[in-house]
Amino acid sequence: MKISTGEYIVRETVLSLKRNSWMAFASIGTVAVSLFVLGMFLILVLNMNRMVASLESQVEISVYVLDEVSEAELRTLEERIASMQGIQSVKLIDKEKAMERFRERLGDQQFLLDALGDNNPLPNSFEVRVIQPDMVRTAAEAIRELPGVETAKYGQDVVEHLFDITRLVRLFGLALMFVLALATLFIISNTIRLTVFARRKEVAIMKYVGATDWFIRWPFLLEGIVLGCFGGVVAALALRGVYRVIAVKIYDTLAFFPLIPENPFLHYVTAAILVCGMFIGALGSTISLKKFLDA
Amino acid sequence: MIDMKDISKVYENGAMALDHVNVHIDKGEFVFIVGASGAGKSTFIRMLFREVLPSAGSLIVNGQDVIHMDRSDVPYLRRGLGVIFQDYRLLPDKTVTENVAFAMQVIEAPRRKIQHSVNAVLDIVGLRDKYKCFPSQLSGGEQQRVAIARAIVNHPALVIADEPTGNLDPDTSWDIMDIFKRINADGTTIVMATHDKGIVDSMKRRVIAIEDGHIVRDEAQGVYGYED
Ligand SMILES: Nc1ncnc2c1ncn2[C@@H]1O[C@H](COP(=O)(O)OP(=O)(O)O)[C@@H](O)[C@H]1O
Ligand SMILES: [Mg+2]
Repeated sequence: MKISTGEYIVRETVLSLKRNSWMAFASIGTVAVSLFVLGMFLILVLNMNRMVASLESQVEISVYVLDEVSEAELRTLEERIASMQGIQSVKLIDKEKAMERFRERLGDQQFLLDALGDNNPLPNSFEVRVIQPDMVRTAAEAIRELPGVETAKYGQDVVEHLFDITRLVRLFGLALMFVLALATLFIISNTIRLTVFARRKEVAIMKYVGATDWFIRWPFLLEGIVLGCFGGVVAALALRGVYRVIAVKIYDTLAFFPLIPENPFLHYVTAAILVCGMFIGALGSTISLKKFLDA
Repeated sequence: MIDMKDISKVYENGAMALDHVNVHIDKGEFVFIVGASGAGKSTFIRMLFREVLPSAGSLIVNGQDVIHMDRSDVPYLRRGLGVIFQDYRLLPDKTVTENVAFAMQVIEAPRRKIQHSVNAVLDIVGLRDKYKCFPSQLSGGEQQRVAIARAIVNHPALVIADEPTGNLDPDTSWDIMDIFKRINADGTTIVMATHDKGIVDSMKRRVIAIEDGHIVRDEAQGVYGYED
């Protein structure tokens, strides 16, 4: 492309945005709102994913050992588990320790244990941690097969429940993002349609004198991209602000909550929003122009 | 320059605008297309720059196969042609100079060349001193001269005009015809659809008469031949 053509395209784009400034303003605003909500869901879903992952990684496998296993056999079993694939740590909780913990948990209701006398019905057990959360299931299944192991449990229910919720949020988020992307597309393509309409005479003359489709298309394409980009910038700035405020609030009250750190997460989100805005902008103007250029 | 064989045009609504038309026009000719309103003149003209695609037949314009060409080649066909309409079709927010230069800008001509060519064609149509005016500040004849300047600024081999004097009074029409004569004298082929009996009769050029989509007459030094 020639320099003078580049100049022409930029000049035409700026002119057109100025001429339809209120329309441009309105569409940038709407695009910004859509992209903001879109970004919120993106952030929410990503954070939930992370939360699930971190909860999963904290999940322990409780391995209950049969009563007939001897002290020595217990040591061997511990070593065997520790040497298995993907195991991070193995900690023995013997009967006494288990009872101690149980007492603690009962607090002032310890009298309930009086009936037991000196009997300790609790089994020996191991607390096993895995290196990666997705290894929990396989590790638990393998441990269950070992001789002397009665059963191996982990927080299946909690994790699976959480999975369900995330899946739901993700699904809902995706659907909403899709709808919002469509809405954004609609808004931009309508704005461009108006611009094209305002300049239909010019475009007709351009065609008569032999301008190529791409030459005609560029200023409109650029206009769509600029609208999408500006909308994206506004949305990204708002998202960054909101995320910081929320992050501070959460650290103050729920320090354990594993919120994704701002850096570089927010940069990625910003980039995604901008790319998304520009892409939708380009697509929107392409749609509006298609009918016009084909005519 | 133009080779039209068995060309027919049926519009989507079923209207048969041209019916097996055969025309050959050589380089450098000056041809009038005459006929009553609705005869098919505009359809004929608009096929030449592929604004209307023929339904059947073959059409070669300026060495290019108009019917079988790629969509993407249409701009290049049009760069070899200059098109003029009855209603001028100028851009109201551009000056005379800008309107003419526009035709060069959009085909990415170098800037220095634009300046030079625009001045040259404004001389040809006699509007050098009005270069700063907007179309609304010009008479109909002057506006049409701007349109002609725009049509010829890229040195087309063929100029196509659809009733260019249709909105002009006789004196002004003659000014326009003088310009066409001069352009033609430089070797540019001219095809002009018109209603104007006076002009056709006194120019004594080739006349192709269309009636209901058929060519009914094709004479080398013809006359209008109708009373309307
Ligand atoms: N775009 C169109 N769609 C349908 N019919 C058309 C169209 N343009 C022209 N026609 C019909 O084709 C015939 C020839 O029209 P046209 O070429 O405009 O004639 P002229 O220019 O001689 O007045 C007319 O019957 C007209 O109604
Ligand atoms: Mg007509």
